[in-house]
Amino acid sequence: MRGYARARPAFAVIALVAGTVLWAALPTSAARPGSRPVLIVASLCGALTVARLLTDPSAAGAGGLRAGPGGGFGRGLRAGLRALPWAEGTTVAVLGLEVLHPSRPWHTVVLGVALIGFLLALHLAETDAGPAVLRPQLPLLAAGLGLGVLSVGAAALPAAGPGSGWLAVIAGAAALLAAGLALPV
Amino acid sequence: MLTAGPQRTVQVTWRLSGLARSLVTLALAALTIAVITRRTEFAGLAAPALLVLIPRQSSRPGAVSVTVAEGASRLTEGEQGTVLARIAGHDQGTTRLRLHPAAWILAGPAAPGADGWHRLPFRAERWGLRPIGTLEVILNDRWRLAEGRLLVGLPQVTCLPQPTRLDSLVVLGKLSARLGEHAARSPGEGIEFAGIREFVPGDRQRRINWPATTRRGTIQLNTFAAERAQVTVILLDIRFDVGPPGLSTADLAVRAAAGLAAAYVAARDRVGLISFGRQLRWISPAGGRRQADRIMNMIAIDSGDGEPLAAVSRLPEAALPPGALIIVVSPLLSLRLVESLRELRERGFATIVIDVLCAEPDVGSGLIGSRDRAAARLARRLWRMEQDAIRFSLRELGIPVVRWDGRSGLDETLAPYTRRVLVNRA
Repeated sequence: MRGYARARPAFAVIALVAGTVLWAALPTSAARPGSRPVLIVASLCGALTVARLLTDPSAAGAGGLRAGPGGGFGRGLRAGLRALPWAEGTTVAVLGLEVLHPSRPWHTVVLGVALIGFLLALHLAETDAGPAVLRPQLPLLAAGLGLGVLSVGAAALPAAGPGSGWLAVIAGAAALLAAGLALPV
Repeated sequence: MLTAGPQRTVQVTWRLSGLARSLVTLALAALTIAVITRRTEFAGLAAPALLVLIPRQSSRPGAVSVTVAEGASRLTEGEQGTVLARIAGHDQGTTRLRLHPAAWILAGPAAPGADGWHRLPFRAERWGLRPIGTLEVILNDRWRLAEGRLLVGLPQVTCLPQPTRLDSLVVLGKLSARLGEHAARSPGEGIEFAGIREFVPGDRQRRINWPATTRRGTIQLNTFAAERAQVTVILLDIRFDVGPPGLSTADLAVRAAAGLAAAYVAARDRVGLISFGRQLRWISPAGGRRQADRIMNMIAIDSGDGEPLAAVSRLPEAALPPGALIIVVSPLLSLRLVESLRELRERGFATIVIDVLCAEPDVGSGLIGSRDRAAARLARRLWRMEQDAIRFSLRELGIPVVRWDGRSGLDETLAPYTRRVLVNRA
């Protein structure tokens, strides 16, 4: 029972990454050409994210004792899995998959919520922490969700309307803000 | 007993956490797509990630205090130990600890305790003085957007070999005059029945054997065997170590020596040790728990404080009292040790050899040609014959050689010599 409780975050990550990739890929009939390779890349990155999580000895669900140096192939595999940011790759590939579909604002915002959920669940699983540690961020997430809903409304405006130019400017400024936040602390 | 080590102040370097990197990637990718494709919903998709990234400026200490304590500094192979660590100076965020184990150490997950100490279980898998590994401390700020990592070296742990089980002891026919627990051939005040004899004035009446007295018509008395201690010297040969690590000749030899020492000390015998490794080291025979600890320490730790083998011409007299039983645990690969055994036999010591050779030289495994393979087979056969000859010559001298593979206890191996007293034929 305790092992199940420890493995629950890993199950959540698996469910969220699979759901996110599927949500972005469906319906396949409406997707533009080139969506299939992106779907493969997204699935691969998602699988490797889960593999990295499951082979991380300090992550949730990892019980028992682990050995020191000398693990040969297993050690090399773990190092290879840890070398690349598979979660970020999954995020970009899923967004790419969504772009290859015609505009569907509600669908995209739900995808955004799922992606945030996936990243938070992955962080909790990797750090073996409970959901309570994210409590300070709940108001911010709620505000972000509200902005997402507003963006759905904005998307309903005519594409060549007077607000679209401003939107591009605001989005550009937000991109600069995000880049500034990414600078090393 | 827990002894906390000194408190160390360690500098912390902060950087973006994995969560922050993922959120930045999500926000940047979504905003770029929004600008390029002019799809507003992607900007909305980036909004939660951007908002979560905003408040990442929070108090992050430049240094924290780390205190490390060992649950126990001495363990036995396979026994679980605990490292305790306490991190002070980081109150606003979370702290995670991870033990990176060194070779032959298995590490478990860290568990924070209510008393502020984190407990990190580990298990030493092979005897010796072993470094436990490195402690990695991962600090997260309150918003989990910044992460600080620091590494702390952990102390060494003394891992004692797992003593091999030994219930029956090899006992000499002639024992020393010291009181002990082995029944001697001479009559005395022990508890083992030796026979009956006629009563003489001065004998204790409680020892009268009434059935025998009734049958013979004269007063008969029970006699008992005297109980004496034995002096046992264990000669541990770890000069050559062959075989797979964990099951090598040195591993088997130290486990056998630890089992022998524990069994003989438990029988209140005087036990000594001669370690025939890189140096010649020895402990003169004595009894008691402290002697057992000294022997275990010498078996487990190669302190390098002995006499260099090149400077020693014969085994130390002080470690070989007359009448001692010498139990040699060796793969018999050192011809110098074999010569020493012959010398011991000539000096009249009762000696028994436990042969722990469990591997053969890896000759010809990479050879391809049939002629080379035949030469390798011949070399291996010659080596086997040489080993057989060494063991045969020892048996001819009156030194029994028994083989032990480490899989079972020593009782089965030593059974032919534990069911009867070992007679010195000098």
